[in-house]
Amino acid sequence: MNVSPDEAEEALAAIQSVTQKTRRSIASSGAHIYLIITGAVWLVGFLSTQFLPGEITIAVWIGVSLLGSALAVLLGNRMGRRVRSPFAAAYAMRIGLFWLLLVLYAVAVIAVARPTDGKQVTMLVILFTMIGQLSMGLLLTFSATWWALPITALALAGYFLLPDLFYLWMAILVGGGMIALGLYIRWRW
Amino acid sequence: MAELNETIHQPVRLRVMAALVALEAGNEVDFTYLRNLLEVTDGNLGAHLRKLEEAGYIAVNKTFVERKPRTFVAATAEGRQVFQEHVAALESIVKRK
Repeated sequence: MNVSPDEAEEALAAIQSVTQKTRRSIASSGAHIYLIITGAVWLVGFLSTQFLPGEITIAVWIGVSLLGSALAVLLGNRMGRRVRSPFAAAYAMRIGLFWLLLVLYAVAVIAVARPTDGKQVTMLVILFTMIGQLSMGLLLTFSATWWALPITALALAGYFLLPDLFYLWMAILVGGGMIALGLYIRWRW
Repeated sequence: MAELNETIHQPVRLRVMAALVALEAGNEVDFTYLRNLLEVTDGNLGAHLRKLEEAGYIAVNKTFVERKPRTFVAATAEGRQVFQEHVAALESIVKRK
């Protein structure tokens, strides 16, 4: 079989293009959905925490969290059908158990630490959520890992540098940032 | 020295293998997803998949998901090996340029 250097170069370029397209497509297929949904939940929830009375805030958080979870499961399932991973299927039970235990540990830490205000509770919940996200990313696919780090850094920056505007910071910069990042991954990546 | 593989070198099959090898080992991809990714027709993709399956480079798994027939495709270990050798052969040709 004879292939000229130019043909070989073209074939390698085609391989590189498809490889990149596949990896990006798979990497972004789940990430952008979860980023946009989580970002929208945080945007609405934290804006309500900043500006609305406590009783209404709780109702808003419950409403948007339930809606967000239902949407994430529905859309995530649909996207996840594109690629089947024997690893993920075999470990689905352990992944579920990991998140359940992480929630229980978060509750235990909050009970022991007895945070004095809502900002501390919020920050602890965010830290545990991001630990879970990082763990999933590191164990299942590296592509889902990186965005948990800047979100954690932004949340910590808001907590320590702008305590009075913490919820507004979380809503606009972190919630809005997640939506923007999700849209960027969807349309440009 | 790595050798070129005639079955894989065909442009559509080359792109199919590139897409499947990009997945983690053992993962399989939906036929419709692969068709959209590579921007080819059902018939064209089906014909090339058959050739690759006959050569033992891919595994085709026909199954039912929620009562609907679905086809999943994955690169076999042999397919991955042959593809890597083909890429190495192409690289050595380019280096000689």
